[in-house]
Amino acid sequence: MIRVVRCLRHLRNTPLRSWRALSTAATTIPTASNQGALPTSRSPIVSELRFFDSVTNEQGHIPTYRVLDGVGIPVEGGQLPEINEEFARRLYEHMVLLPTVDNVLYNVQRQGKISFYYGEEATIIGSAAMLAPDDDLKLEIGQYREMGVLLWRGFGIDAIMAQCFGNLEDKSGKGRQMPMHFGSPEHHFHTISSPLATQIPQAAGVGYALRRDPARRDKNVACVYFGEGAASEGDFHAGMLLASTISCPTIFLARNNGFAISTPAHEQYAGDGIAARGPGYGIDTVRVDGNDILAVMNAVKEARRRCLASGRAVLVEAMTYRVGHHSTSDDSFAYRGRQEVDNKKKIDNPIMRFRLFMESRGWWNDQEEDALKSRLKKDVLTTLRKAESLKQSDLRDLFTDVYAGEEPWNLREQREELAGLIRKYGEAWQPWQSELKRFRDEGKKLAD
Amino acid sequence: MYQAVRDALSIVLAKDDTAVVFGEDVAFGGVFRCTMGLAEEFGRERVFNTPLTEQGIAGFGIGLASMGHTAIAEIQFADYIFPAFDQIVNEAAKYRYRAGGQFSIGGLTIRTPTMAVGHGGLYHSQSPEGFFLGASGIKIVIPRSPIQCKGLLLTSIRDPNPVLFMEPKILYRSAVEQVPIDDFNIPLSRAETLMPGSDLTLLTWGTPVYHCESAISLLRSPPPTLEPLVPPSLRSATVELIDLRTILPWDIETIVESVKRTRRLVIVHEAGMTGGVGAEIAAEVQKRAFLRLEAPIRRITGWDVPAALQYEKFNMPDPIRILDGIMETLTY
Repeated sequence: MIRVVRCLRHLRNTPLRSWRALSTAATTIPTASNQGALPTSRSPIVSELRFFDSVTNEQGHIPTYRVLDGVGIPVEGGQLPEINEEFARRLYEHMVLLPTVDNVLYNVQRQGKISFYYGEEATIIGSAAMLAPDDDLKLEIGQYREMGVLLWRGFGIDAIMAQCFGNLEDKSGKGRQMPMHFGSPEHHFHTISSPLATQIPQAAGVGYALRRDPARRDKNVACVYFGEGAASEGDFHAGMLLASTISCPTIFLARNNGFAISTPAHEQYAGDGIAARGPGYGIDTVRVDGNDILAVMNAVKEARRRCLASGRAVLVEAMTYRVGHHSTSDDSFAYRGRQEVDNKKKIDNPIMRFRLFMESRGWWNDQEEDALKSRLKKDVLTTLRKAESLKQSDLRDLFTDVYAGEEPWNLREQREELAGLIRKYGEAWQPWQSELKRFRDEGKKLAD
Repeated sequence: MYQAVRDALSIVLAKDDTAVVFGEDVAFGGVFRCTMGLAEEFGRERVFNTPLTEQGIAGFGIGLASMGHTAIAEIQFADYIFPAFDQIVNEAAKYRYRAGGQFSIGGLTIRTPTMAVGHGGLYHSQSPEGFFLGASGIKIVIPRSPIQCKGLLLTSIRDPNPVLFMEPKILYRSAVEQVPIDDFNIPLSRAETLMPGSDLTLLTWGTPVYHCESAISLLRSPPPTLEPLVPPSLRSATVELIDLRTILPWDIETIVESVKRTRRLVIVHEAGMTGGVGAEIAAEVQKRAFLRLEAPIRRITGWDVPAALQYEKFNMPDPIRILDGIMETLTY
């Protein structure tokens, strides 16, 4: 038994590509004959039998675009985006804000105050900054980890906390969804849902609606964020197909952080990541170093320009590394080495990289770093204390918003039945007695 | 009836600039001709083909509708709606609720041909409405005729909730009647009493409405071969025939009121019995009309088997099975 486990571990640690490469000769396209092409294809007819695998042979890898190296120095030939001190500081503050909120919520979760929390040090500030040139006209469909986009757009830490605690100020979902499932029409951020990848074909539909809207055509794009694990779902395939054939101005932003819970990327796919799939769908594609905010900014800005110019989809794959656990329900050291994670944190930390760049320009120093960190921590803790002191929404909201318009008889009867039960047992049944006090209406509006 | 569908779609496309119609093969007119000429009339930007992906069609429609647009999606056969089950149940049905009412997809309507057609076999015959009964947040509508189809479809498209609109495909070309050319609505969640009666309530929807009508006339005046099998004492019984029309949320008031009067209920549907819509209705009616019932509520449905091709005549509820169920219930 032990032997088998060891074998499996060995397999997992061995890059599949090493033996795959042996079986795949470098590919060159055989010379076209004078046979023309088949009616359903533009493919030239040839007489030589050859199998193709354009993504797993050594030459075929899509390169990763980078502007800053690991210590914040511009790489040779790298084109810096237009960036001044003020904008850089705003970017940096938002980058630092994410782990600050993360850490506070993470610790709160450990104390059992909120039920669930997904956290990741995000590098999406760069994409958020390029997606929102003039505030609020952009439409996002979010995935779990996109809190940063909302913060960039001014959603506010208080609204983040309200959602995580599901209190009466939670406009995202009236306390109905698990923490981190934000939404805000005002910030053009569609409410996050747990089922992976379902938002991908929806984003194509959003893009199509934007193209059909005279007020927003040629001005706005849809953008959907997802992880490399979600890209294995059928909905990814559907969304890419729809956006390419129906021509929907939609940016597909894949964050490839190497893991989907415990599953490493090489068990997720055998090809060259997510980017290699883009050309198969006829979609302009770029791979970018996701820990390099300036590279992300350049890539997303150009992706957005192409998306608007062509009215078609664009795929961006940002390569990152998930240094935190998948969620608070997960201990990632069960499937990867602590040392590996520590190395990544030190060597390839997106915040550190950008900080070093800013310091090299004289835009940042240790004193400012300390001041920023203590200010942000104070802000976050203040909003946290407020959020945890507030009551939940009305218990009545358990039954509202299922349908628009007239409330169906079954919901009305069930609501009234619960109201009756609470009148009867609300005081006598301890589990309800204490729980009722958490709600603004204490259950009293249920029968209204 | 396919012309009634087309007519309704044409009215919506003409009156609502945000409305689009899409699905597999809808641009050339659709495999059942329901979208004939619409692409030519309204342009390929508004009536277009999608790649062959049901989960994609449903997801795309949800995205469009979330922007306030009117999205009319087609799933080619109800049998192929299951790849979109996740999008419909986890996304469409919960979209409004989970967003605290801030986002909604009321503009989404998914049309799909349903029920048996004589030779459809396993995957061109199904009635999957029962699978969606638990998806609170969506509505499910099934019309029985061209007028009904046009009125109910127009209401479904304009309803502020996502609607699954299931069209009995055998009726596309067989059900013909004069349909008003104007724009009219038939309310959802309202059953319709087609024949009044006082001895038994016969409840159904879609194609079996016609089998139920036949069964009632067989009961009244059986042909010579059936005469010995239909006791004369039952022939004067009056059966109240009700078309449910909306499956979710269904019209409990009309049904319970009828059963309290007639004291007997027979439910007919094509889908299998176990877990079918009939089970839901029977449970609620027995709760509300327990002291009035004089016979067990009877369900006449397809058997709990897949829709086997060569066996269809013995699988689907037909007039003789319905007649037998009526007589058994009347003589209980």
